[in-house]
Amino acid sequence: MTHANQYSAKAGLMHEEPLVFEHAHEKATSINLPGVTGDMPASLAAFSRKKAANIPGLSEPETVRHFVRLSQWNHSIETGFYPLGSCTMKYNPRVNENIARLPGFAHVHPYQPEDSVQGLLESLYEVQGWLGEITGFPHVTLQPAAGAHGEWTGLMMIRAALQAKGEGHRNKVLVPDSAHGTNPASASLCGMETIELPSLPNGQLDLEALKQHLDGNTAALMLTNPNTAGAFESNIVEICRLVHEAGGFVYGDGANLNALVGKARPGDMGIDCLHINVHKTFSTPHGGGGPGGGPVAVCEALAPFLPTPHIRACKHGYHLVQEHPQSIGSVLGSIGQVGVLIRAAAYIAAFGRDHLHKIAEDAVLNANYMLARLKAHYHVPFPGLCKHECLLTDEWQNRDGVKTLDIAKRLIDLGFHPMTVYFPLIVHGAMLIEPTETESKEMMDAFCDAMVEIAEQCKNGETELLHDAPLLPMRRRLDETAAARKPTLVWHGEV
Amino acid sequence: MRFLPHTESDRQAMLTRIGATQMSDLFEDIPEQLRISPQSLDLPGALSEAAIVRKFTQAAERNRHALNTRCFLGGGTYHHFIPSVVDYIISRGEFLTAYTPYQPEISQGTLQTLFEFQTMVARLTGMEVSNASMYDAATSVAEAALMAKRVTRKNRVILANGVHPKYCEVTTNYLSHLEGSCVRLPQSGYATDLAQTIAAIDENTACVIVQYPDFYGTVYDLAQLRIACDTHKCLMVVAFADVSAFALIDPPGHYGADIAVGSGQALGIPMGFGGPHLGLFTCKQKYLRQMPGRVCGLTHDVNGQRGFVLTLSTREQHIRREKATSNICSNQGLMCTAAATYLTLMGDAGLETVAKHSAAALQSLIDQLPSHVTAASGPHYNETVITFSDQHTRDQFLSRAHAANIFAGIALETIDSSAERAEASLLIATTEMIEPDDISALVQLLEACQ
Repeated sequence: MTHANQYSAKAGLMHEEPLVFEHAHEKATSINLPGVTGDMPASLAAFSRKKAANIPGLSEPETVRHFVRLSQWNHSIETGFYPLGSCTMKYNPRVNENIARLPGFAHVHPYQPEDSVQGLLESLYEVQGWLGEITGFPHVTLQPAAGAHGEWTGLMMIRAALQAKGEGHRNKVLVPDSAHGTNPASASLCGMETIELPSLPNGQLDLEALKQHLDGNTAALMLTNPNTAGAFESNIVEICRLVHEAGGFVYGDGANLNALVGKARPGDMGIDCLHINVHKTFSTPHGGGGPGGGPVAVCEALAPFLPTPHIRACKHGYHLVQEHPQSIGSVLGSIGQVGVLIRAAAYIAAFGRDHLHKIAEDAVLNANYMLARLKAHYHVPFPGLCKHECLLTDEWQNRDGVKTLDIAKRLIDLGFHPMTVYFPLIVHGAMLIEPTETESKEMMDAFCDAMVEIAEQCKNGETELLHDAPLLPMRRRLDETAAARKPTLVWHGEV
Repeated sequence: MRFLPHTESDRQAMLTRIGATQMSDLFEDIPEQLRISPQSLDLPGALSEAAIVRKFTQAAERNRHALNTRCFLGGGTYHHFIPSVVDYIISRGEFLTAYTPYQPEISQGTLQTLFEFQTMVARLTGMEVSNASMYDAATSVAEAALMAKRVTRKNRVILANGVHPKYCEVTTNYLSHLEGSCVRLPQSGYATDLAQTIAAIDENTACVIVQYPDFYGTVYDLAQLRIACDTHKCLMVVAFADVSAFALIDPPGHYGADIAVGSGQALGIPMGFGGPHLGLFTCKQKYLRQMPGRVCGLTHDVNGQRGFVLTLSTREQHIRREKATSNICSNQGLMCTAAATYLTLMGDAGLETVAKHSAAALQSLIDQLPSHVTAASGPHYNETVITFSDQHTRDQFLSRAHAANIFAGIALETIDSSAERAEASLLIATTEMIEPDDISALVQLLEACQ
């Protein structure tokens, strides 16, 4: 069902592109591959695939054009501002891409003899140490593949430590209501029970509520600091003291580490265990949804329980420790998302001791600047200093019948990717803006101008424009309800 | 600092607008005793771009890799050919530097690619639906076990003896603090013991997990297992390590697998010392709402134009929190783009060529083995176990191969210590990258090490 109009320019460079399955021609058979030619071994004949998979097979030029055209339908950091709160969408240095692709990193087999991968092990050992130094912890595992995976790994270590102390009955994990959804989900995956802690009216953790819930069954408190409203939990030392006094551990969600890097260290605050989203703080590309990396840094008390394999330096070089008596074992099929970790190492190396603190400084400066520019136009639920992200709501625009979703969609028409919407859940109509350190004042001013324009349009009653937005992209608001009600996840031809 | 756009005057202007006088004002909410002074961290000094390239190139060059050796290593990671186009597409900033497609109107590129990926993965595995990826094969197997428990509301999980020991370990870990038991069947030769597996199923069994082709590379018929699973109303979960096999042999869907999970690394993703790889997760349509992970679905916009969105999010952690099907959120998105590009380039014909070459190379190697080395019997795809007369002979061979730049196989006990005569055996794999010359070199060395 290929039609000429699927290829023609609709408006300027806006184009359509069919599904790969709709490219109507016979399958290409032009792939040349090296290797041993020969028939299928006789013993396999009985298992010979009976029904073709029906994978399209386009020629090389067609494949390139198909995916390049699709790529042009994406907003990305390289094409524009991406102020998603709690996501830390910063510039991804190109040199890091080149390094990760060096054959000595990219084409190395995980079961190669250790003496043939010493350069790689050294780089990983080095970044492991840097991550520990930056966060203030003596030990780090690189294995977890993502933030959520790190949370689960950390809780598994906490669980193992409690069991080793004969306190395996401790089963409750306290999670503030402002936390990422992964926190309670990770606790469940460990077989632990989540107790939700209400936040104070200022968005901070409620010390009284914490004290009330701490008891002999507390395994851990999971805390994001700065919290998801973008504010530093100033009582952090007291919070950690209380949890420790009750016999629990403090798990730090490192999602917001960008606000602290080079300025303060979670390990110094009394936190016992922290995952580090290297795809946020250390700029490994988000890739349209991964791969990321979630190394976990731990205090001495949790060190015996670190996952295996674990890299250790010894007299003769670097060595993978495969077994360790109290280890929680493997949490992934490999030692981690190695290519991602190499990119993170390169980002840290570029800043080094000299400049690392500038990451947090400019990130915090930028967020406060945007807050200063927008606070006269949007409701700020928790006034005061913010850290690397600022939180607004749609409260004032609601009066004119406009909600956060409309504002977000209107931003698309104005050329920006919207901020994070409807998170955190502790305020109604949340808009969480995180500019990161790699955005210019010019870009932030342009975004703020757009936000001010939208607020003005609300006041002036030009709300239809907002309800209909976005008008300009190649697709307008999509029917998510229909998608979920009758899910079509694979192509069976036009229905 | 080259990644930071501000000039000092920008910073001053912004501070003034905020109402602050200096940068430290912005960090006053952090208790003073917790603040560290600039340059106090024990890190190396900042490196220029040129210095970074030099440092990491030197580290990389100290590693041997598949492009300058003869690589017969497998065990879940395979040195398949990666067309240049794949890396070009995933290097494009629009794919590389986009976030999870939460705003579908400006993320249709990623979303349509995910939809195409899901469709092609479902077709290749013969399954009805696929999600948009998991971390890797091992965690996919673990999530499949958890899903089977949700679907059946039963608690016992059986891991057959031919499942990759690493997949077993990770799965056992994922299940360790939850109700029920995870039973790992004892080793029994270099092939899946189906009779043992079927005998282990009981009324409390949520699922049986088998690997196909199994960890030892053996291909076998799953029809009897399907019948046994139906009898006991448990799910049949099929794991796989090298998805390229299914261009040649009957895929899991052919045997009626309820869930099929495994590695998609063979689909244009470099070995990378273990990651980032790609976990594939497929199942029957009727179990869709118990599936973990992100999924992309077809829908229409307000103008009736076709488009795609992330869907079924009510299963997920950001909505369901502690009641979510998993804690997993976005994971290997770019690897899905790589796989979709690879599959599009290859098509049925290319995939079949890859699989045929991979299988033919193994057969050729087996045919040439000297008599003091025995290969496991039965049908194999591209991996098998070869056994020497004793450990000494094997180790002598391994070290000579190493010296000759041949990664000749994985010493079996390093992954699978309980396997029969593991210390005298090697797990050995072939792909289309193995040429006749590589096999001759390996065989010559084998002949020299008796």
